[in-house]
Amino acid sequence: MSTRERALLEEVAALLEAPAHRDHPLHAALERLYHHHLEQRDRLERMINIADGFQQSAQQDLHATRHQLERQRRRQRKLSRIADRFQDLLHERNQELADASTQDPLTGLANRRCLDDHLASLAAGAARHGRPLSLAMIDIDHFKVINDRHGHVAGDRALVALAESLRDGLREGDLCGRWGGEEFLLVLPETRLDQAKVLVARLGDRLRALDLALEDQGRPTSVTASIGLAEYRPDEDYRATIHRADQALLAAKREGRDRTRCDAG
Amino acid sequence: MSHDLNLPGSVSTPAIQSDWQAGRLSMQGDSYPENSFDLFDQVIDWVEAFLARESRPLTLALELVYLNTSSVKAMMDIFDLLEDAHEDRRAVEVVWHYDPRNERIAELAEEFKEDCSYPFAITPLEVPA
Repeated sequence: MSTRERALLEEVAALLEAPAHRDHPLHAALERLYHHHLEQRDRLERMINIADGFQQSAQQDLHATRHQLERQRRRQRKLSRIADRFQDLLHERNQELADASTQDPLTGLANRRCLDDHLASLAAGAARHGRPLSLAMIDIDHFKVINDRHGHVAGDRALVALAESLRDGLREGDLCGRWGGEEFLLVLPETRLDQAKVLVARLGDRLRALDLALEDQGRPTSVTASIGLAEYRPDEDYRATIHRADQALLAAKREGRDRTRCDAG
Repeated sequence: MSHDLNLPGSVSTPAIQSDWQAGRLSMQGDSYPENSFDLFDQVIDWVEAFLARESRPLTLALELVYLNTSSVKAMMDIFDLLEDAHEDRRAVEVVWHYDPRNERIAELAEEFKEDCSYPFAITPLEVPA
């Protein structure tokens, strides 16, 4: 209640109390008006209180809802984040499986299945466009001796080093795969037999120059390779080309190893 | 206890075992079930029942690997149940074992652990060399 209102009410109350005004013709009407005002004021205050109460509880509700929303949002973000990461994981797993099915686990070179797929599509393209394609089958000479003398762990290490040396000696677009034990197959697209000869001569030198470092005394360990070459013929199955490269390799071995032989065909 | 769970697990569902007497719930494997609600409702029911009827400690032993989104959601719900119990001063804990060859799983377990104020251990499994 404001001071002005209080002062007015006190003034009216005092006038009504004063005996001198009791018989005044407006006394009864003023007295009713005075009480009516007091009642109205009470009502107004109650209404304000109730309205305030409602507002407060609405505020509290709003606050709680906001809090809940914030919590839900946090949860949602966390859920998406974790789910995304699991998806990445799945993706990586798939990639690993794809690698495992196309790579030789020891050397990381293409495995036989990968070589087959690659050759099938290359051969189809070479036949269609009349482009040359050559294959080289490489066998490391007397590799069994390394395994027998130094053990299989050392033998594996030597294979990894040889594979790396072969891979590094290739041109872009060439593919080197592990065909079997110590046998490697080179797939040389856009390459005629005479060009392949130059390339594998260089590779043969690389292998010869490689020190496999298997001897404790620091004496270098080196190996040689026998290589069979064949060029793809547009009318044949690529497996026939592999067979001819293999036959050329056999000839190289029969003639004393450490040499390259071309398919006579 | 008759209401214990013992689900063998499959390619897409984790193996689940509960031991009411020991206060222990274990889950292993991948989880991308066709109906994750059917699967996890049983687990959530078991955890809720245990927390409601017992006052003994509860241990969650996990060896989960891959989880799809609805399984992640279900696991978050279970961890929330444990968080509520922990706020009621109940002894609860999670031990998440992972294959040390797959550190990514440990990182994901760490993500789950965030916001959890009860003991949550992430430990590598012993793998034969």
